[in-house]
Amino acid sequence: MDRSPRAVQRLLLVLALAAAMLFAVVAPALALVNPQVTLDQEQGGSPTRFTFVAITDKDASITGMDFTFPPGFDLSSVSFDTVTLEGLVRRPVNVTGAAAGETLSLKFAPSVEPSSTLRVQIHDVLTTNEGGTFPLKIAYSTESTATGTRVLSHRTDDTVKFSYTSLSFAEGISHNLDKNSFVAGWNNVKALGMFFKPQLVVTSIPTVITGWYLALVWIAFAFPIAIVGGLSFAFMKMSKIPPLRWIAAAYINVIRGTPLFLQIFVAFIGLRIAGFRVDDNVTAVAVLAMNSSAYLAEIFRAGIQSINKGQFEAASSLGMNYAQSMQYVIIPQTVKRVLPTMTSEFILLFKDTALFAAVGRPELMYQAQNIVANTGNMTPFVVIAAFYLIVTIPLINVVGRLEARLAVSEHGQSPTEKTKRRGGRLMNELAQSVDPYRATAPDSIHDDNERG
Amino acid sequence: MSQYIVRIEGLHKSFGKLEVLKGVDLKVTKGEVVVVLGPSGSGKSTMLRCINKLEQPTDGRIFLEDIEITDPKTNINQVREQIGMVFQSFNLFPHLTAKANVMLAQRKVLKRDKAEASRIAEEQLRRVGLGDKMDNFPAQLSGGQQQRVAIARALAMNPHVMLFDEVTSALDPELVRGVLDVMKELAAAGMTMLVVTHEMGFARDVASRVVFMDEGVIVEEGTPEEVFDHPKSERTKDFLGHIT
Repeated sequence: MDRSPRAVQRLLLVLALAAAMLFAVVAPALALVNPQVTLDQEQGGSPTRFTFVAITDKDASITGMDFTFPPGFDLSSVSFDTVTLEGLVRRPVNVTGAAAGETLSLKFAPSVEPSSTLRVQIHDVLTTNEGGTFPLKIAYSTESTATGTRVLSHRTDDTVKFSYTSLSFAEGISHNLDKNSFVAGWNNVKALGMFFKPQLVVTSIPTVITGWYLALVWIAFAFPIAIVGGLSFAFMKMSKIPPLRWIAAAYINVIRGTPLFLQIFVAFIGLRIAGFRVDDNVTAVAVLAMNSSAYLAEIFRAGIQSINKGQFEAASSLGMNYAQSMQYVIIPQTVKRVLPTMTSEFILLFKDTALFAAVGRPELMYQAQNIVANTGNMTPFVVIAAFYLIVTIPLINVVGRLEARLAVSEHGQSPTEKTKRRGGRLMNELAQSVDPYRATAPDSIHDDNERG
Repeated sequence: MSQYIVRIEGLHKSFGKLEVLKGVDLKVTKGEVVVVLGPSGSGKSTMLRCINKLEQPTDGRIFLEDIEITDPKTNINQVREQIGMVFQSFNLFPHLTAKANVMLAQRKVLKRDKAEASRIAEEQLRRVGLGDKMDNFPAQLSGGQQQRVAIARALAMNPHVMLFDEVTSALDPELVRGVLDVMKELAAAGMTMLVVTHEMGFARDVASRVVFMDEGVIVEEGTPEEVFDHPKSERTKDFLGHIT
């Protein structure tokens, strides 16, 4: 036989087509049309309801379905229900079934009629923590109405896809806490559950910490600016030029004499109404810096003026000019004296960031208020209290140490000795000193009136 | 070049309505040790402080050599470099060690390099007998030691004249001697000194001239013998009578 390759090709094509047509007739028809699955949870790791909807084929009644979930899914506590939907009418389907491993097998009796909208709800499927897109494999058995014989078909390629996102670390912990009986008991005590609910502690931290960062960033910019501003206003207020003194005094009095809350509203709402549009964080930093600079100006001025006039005279008598005297003699002593008060001012400023919640800046207070509004539970307020304290308690401690060091250094301990001394002993020494403001060693304490 | 290191002409100084100095004239020649005596409130400290303009004179003229200090055009800081001053209350810089106290103005005002300033500081501190206290802070030193550091600090600037403003008045009696010894040594070395003090012994031993002030004027001046042994003024007699 002498046939060209082309003829062979053509023959094969015809055969294939014929086989396909034959198969299409003989093989059971595709029993489900437009299958879809939806989940009631967006994140993994929690009991999830899977809702499967499809239209059954016009030629086949469904007698049973197998749903095979991806590995790692826990079906141990699933329940299910099945209905057919005709317009707005739901018809319950009598269904029995059991889960084995990751597969749930359902049997419908009587079978689901052709061309009906089938909805299967599978409750409490425990999904994996790790998110992604997963296949739900569906197999089903049908009764063909054409032949009357029951044909079981495993269509493992018949899959629908679903996806969810990963469970966050905090929510993972929270889910574990949900299962803990001690936690349940704890939460049943109203005061504990309302203010110290462990799950909410865990889940609110990732949110409120962003507010904490924001407050810290504000302060990190605002406080250095406030120090520069405060020094400027302090020197202006001590200036020999009256207009400079007036400007500084007016600024300091207005800022210190009005509530920060009011200043925030003027900056955020007033300026906006007036047509100024400045970045919110820039505005926040500016308000904080301006407010703090007024307080720091008074702290610095008091600090500088507390330095004995003799220091300035001694520096002058050595030929040092005003700037040199300030830089090398007065300021170094002032810094030591104002450091405790400055630290206190820093603490105040950090706490005051909470006021920006009123103008919707997402700092600690704002974040906590949001969660409280959503959950009706006070725990986030306790959580942010802790976030404030993480910053303030160590600083309060620092203030105490600085004050003790200052007291010692101003009457008779070397810096090297100072660092070795601690609490009790140091306080004893303070108590024993006769006159803490005399900057001389004890042997020179002496009544000036004795002479001359 | 003026023959006088310090020349004061018709110096007046008022604090508000209170007139403290009522026309003071004083000339100090090189190498002289002038001791100024007088009761409290007689204006002797104020006069001293006017010389380096820690007080602004109300009227009159003051010269350091050829420079008129009271001329508003004079750069007072340049004049002050040449006038050493030691205070009753020491006024050491408490945040600096003894050596750093002596070095600071050398570095910042005279622009000496660190090695030189350090060398001079050590030299001056040894001179006042504090070679072993260089790295101590003022609070670790006795009053007498602090005052000697203050003297070393002023000397390190190579002043043309030294002003001493009741430098031993705040010291315990046993600490006074060390400070006076340093001042005697200075006088012997030829330093021009203007000393306000109540130490009569020092005035008698060291002064080349004693000036007695009362109520804002110079009442009497002369050699120690003249003033102490043969005072002309009743007020001087009265004052010396109370002291001794």
